[in-house]
Amino acid sequence: MNDLKQSGINKFKNNLKDLRNSFLRSFIREGKPINDLSRAAVMANNFFLHVQGAKTHVNTLRPGYTLGLGLISLYLLLITVITGVLLMIFYNPSIENAYNTIKDINYVVFTGRLVRNMHKWAGEGMIISVMLHMARVFYTSSYKKGREFNWVIGIVLLILTLGINLSGYMLPWDQLSYWALVIVANIIQSPKEVTDVLGITKYFDMGGFSKELFLGGLTAGKESLTRVYLLHIMLLPLILFIFLGVHFWRIRKDGGLTKPEAFELKESDTRYISGPERKTEVFSTNKTYGLMELVKTRTPAVSRDIENNLLSWPNLILAETAVFFLTLAIVMVYSFYIDAPLRELANPLIPENPAKAPWYFLGLQELLSYSAFMGGVGLPGLALLGLALIPYLDREPQHIGIWFSGKKGRYIALESLVVGTFVLVGLLAIVIKFGWFRTWWPDVPQLLIILINPGNIWVGFMIMWSLFVIKRTDSTRMGAIALFTMFLLSYVILTYVGTELRGPNWGFYWYKSQWPVH
Amino acid sequence: MLNRFYLWVLFLSSLVLIAYTVFVTYQEITPEWKKYQVEYKELLIKEAKDENIRKKVKAMDIKLQQIYLGVLNKVDRCTSCHMGVENPLMVNEKVPFKQHRGDYLKNHPVEIFGCTVCHYGQGRAPNRKEAHGIGRDTYWDYPIMNLEYIQTSCALCHDLTFLKDRGGEKVVAGERLFRQKGCMGCHKLEGVGGVLGKSLDGIGSQPIAYFPMRYVKGEKTVAQWIREHEEEPRRVVPDSQMRVDVTPEEADFLTTYIMSLRSEEIPRKLRRLTGAKMPEEIKDEGESLYKMYCIACHGNGKASVFDEAFKRTIPAIKNPAFLKVADDKFIRENMSEGRAGTQMTAWKAAAAGLTEQQIEKIIKYITKDRPKERPVPFGFALFKVNINHGEEIFKSRCVACHGENGEGGVGLNLRNPVVQKADPEFLTITVRDGREGTAMISFGSKDGGLTSQDIADVVGYVRTLSKKKYKSH
Repeated sequence: MNDLKQSGINKFKNNLKDLRNSFLRSFIREGKPINDLSRAAVMANNFFLHVQGAKTHVNTLRPGYTLGLGLISLYLLLITVITGVLLMIFYNPSIENAYNTIKDINYVVFTGRLVRNMHKWAGEGMIISVMLHMARVFYTSSYKKGREFNWVIGIVLLILTLGINLSGYMLPWDQLSYWALVIVANIIQSPKEVTDVLGITKYFDMGGFSKELFLGGLTAGKESLTRVYLLHIMLLPLILFIFLGVHFWRIRKDGGLTKPEAFELKESDTRYISGPERKTEVFSTNKTYGLMELVKTRTPAVSRDIENNLLSWPNLILAETAVFFLTLAIVMVYSFYIDAPLRELANPLIPENPAKAPWYFLGLQELLSYSAFMGGVGLPGLALLGLALIPYLDREPQHIGIWFSGKKGRYIALESLVVGTFVLVGLLAIVIKFGWFRTWWPDVPQLLIILINPGNIWVGFMIMWSLFVIKRTDSTRMGAIALFTMFLLSYVILTYVGTELRGPNWGFYWYKSQWPVH
Repeated sequence: MLNRFYLWVLFLSSLVLIAYTVFVTYQEITPEWKKYQVEYKELLIKEAKDENIRKKVKAMDIKLQQIYLGVLNKVDRCTSCHMGVENPLMVNEKVPFKQHRGDYLKNHPVEIFGCTVCHYGQGRAPNRKEAHGIGRDTYWDYPIMNLEYIQTSCALCHDLTFLKDRGGEKVVAGERLFRQKGCMGCHKLEGVGGVLGKSLDGIGSQPIAYFPMRYVKGEKTVAQWIREHEEEPRRVVPDSQMRVDVTPEEADFLTTYIMSLRSEEIPRKLRRLTGAKMPEEIKDEGESLYKMYCIACHGNGKASVFDEAFKRTIPAIKNPAFLKVADDKFIRENMSEGRAGTQMTAWKAAAAGLTEQQIEKIIKYITKDRPKERPVPFGFALFKVNINHGEEIFKSRCVACHGENGEGGVGLNLRNPVVQKADPEFLTITVRDGREGTAMISFGSKDGGLTSQDIADVVGYVRTLSKKKYKSH
């Protein structure tokens, strides 16, 4: 205040005395979050927090609505990034050293085994949490009214999650890595089946070219490892973070998470919220207003607080922190007890039988065993396309923010689950017991198998069934529920069959102990 | 109002995190090797002769020991537990503190050779289970080697002549047996040998996963697999055709030798190889060659035997009756080209890898008992062959042994090129005179009941067999 009167030395002394406060003031400009204004300011002024609104709807805070799945996916991603950087300090991506450095991480790096386990399980946990997050978004109709494209971005993020996981699976260069690499290279090569049937492989070998591009050669070797490493630590994460930014930004622009139009506070809500401190009206007369931002939501009523909105600080922040600690605790405990697999050093001369892809692709590998092209490219492509198109084909604006869109949707989901289980398990039983065209008529043209195989029949049935549901209920939303439920169902069942019930030469075995030799 | 739900989640999660951070830290600062080192240190303090030494011992750091073997690209941390391997005071202590047996470490300093070069196991692992690599769940290619077979590692760098009286007795005895039992009749070694069995090059360096352990009764180790495979081939490998007859002691020697066939490349400066081969102990070279390559199947060659695994009769190639008919040219042809459709390997240099001289020596050895007198000529060329009549006789007299279409059974496969291209004179003589010591009777005798014309017709028919279609099963 009285700068002019003070001597330079005194000014310096006082500045030094005030250092702690002045630094804090510069760091958190709005001051301590002690009143509603400063609480709102924390959210608005902080770079990392401002992607979220200053206020949060009570619905968002209800654990039973979001189940925290999106957040958990993000936190798992953060865990993999941090543990991944720690692993990179020791890991060496060459076929001479990759395996040895992983062994050293396990054996001599301080907490190395835990860090590796956490990296592995957080990464694979992401697949599950992202899938469940997708299911949550779907079943609460949160892909509608401006959020269509964000759903598509979500699908891209799912693919990237799978891609990063897969590329990481190959880095230890053990038997699992090597043979998964071989399998994946074969999946990539699967368009060859079609070009072979058409007899144009000689001129246009799409499959062979993609495989060579992926492996950096004709067979899995040191170039493949370099490429996979590049994908895992740089290219895919980079793309993932860009899409993640867009994903979050769009949620913010769409006014936060979805909520039902008719929302009522419940008694139980008080368990996880703290209400506003201020008791006066929001829009007092002696205040000026400026247009801050346009968001897509209904206009707030004047002289009333935005209904059922609470300050994000501390409500949202506390919830988010709690979910973070929960996620971290689960990953840590799981990693403490269960080691990430590490088999023998990769050996091209000792094939694993059956050579299996990582578990999250075993559903695909099961389809692949019917037809390479349909399992490797055709059906997954169709499934992803179908998922991406859901918001464009179902545009009914009702029931947003309500689980299963109400009772009817719950019934449809359950019905599809039961019907789907019967049809899919029945189909698999036929395939396992009696084989398919090739077993019945050994000379049948491959084109016929590409066109008619259990995978195609199942997908055809899913489409027919959901069309039938649409016709019956006169609702595209119900059709979408039926289709999506069956998609999730088939992912789970096919993955289970591929993981647990398939043995050497992709034969069927109830238990692993029934496998012949080995 | 408190946000009780989320606070509770936060609180409990934090408790779990703190607890497990403590667990992890405890786990990390108390590794298995540390307990051994503390115990070893106490042992040293107890053994210390004077106060000075005791002081020195007390100042000893407890830390992970590691031997980095740059040239071998190995890291051995074994000495983290096996602290006393070089300490003479530890000669009577228990494992892992015990001093290394013998004076091997004098010439093989641990800091140059490490441990896993000879003993195998996983040098990087600092805990017992994984370091020894025992059990399928350790997923280690080279479990620690049973001390019974440890001398196989000596052969990595030393000649057998050198090892003969320096602790490599079993390897040397096994090598001799290997040559005498005719193992190379089926197994290739350094490019020479038959093709029925797997090549044995580097077999001792194969990862354990290479050997399916399902039918192995004893310890699930590579050595035990090889040993049981020698004793009962078809138990360990169900469809094996291996013919071998060994005593338990011989099996032990042979296993030791086979385990010493490694593919590791030890750097030249660490090796002591002169390149000297074992001296040929058997004077007659033809005989030793016969033992190396032929004896496993043909035995002493006096009588033909029906082999269950081969599903055919192995001819008695040293039987005078055979030799009387078969001339050198015929035998040479059979040895060089093999007999297609049978287990007989083509032994020429381009195939199984014997030189022409070696084949000649073997022929000379086989034929040394050939009778002086030659068989009475048949004169096949003088007969006018009636193939239809030949077929009738074949169907009534020959199919029992040679099969409906001549595909063989107890008798030879008549469809194979060696028979088909053989001199018809030779075939007619064989039919007429029979093959002593086999089921092939003399068809030209009174008991056989065929006239010369009949025999000529049958041979004429047999020579058309290769043109007839026949699907083998």
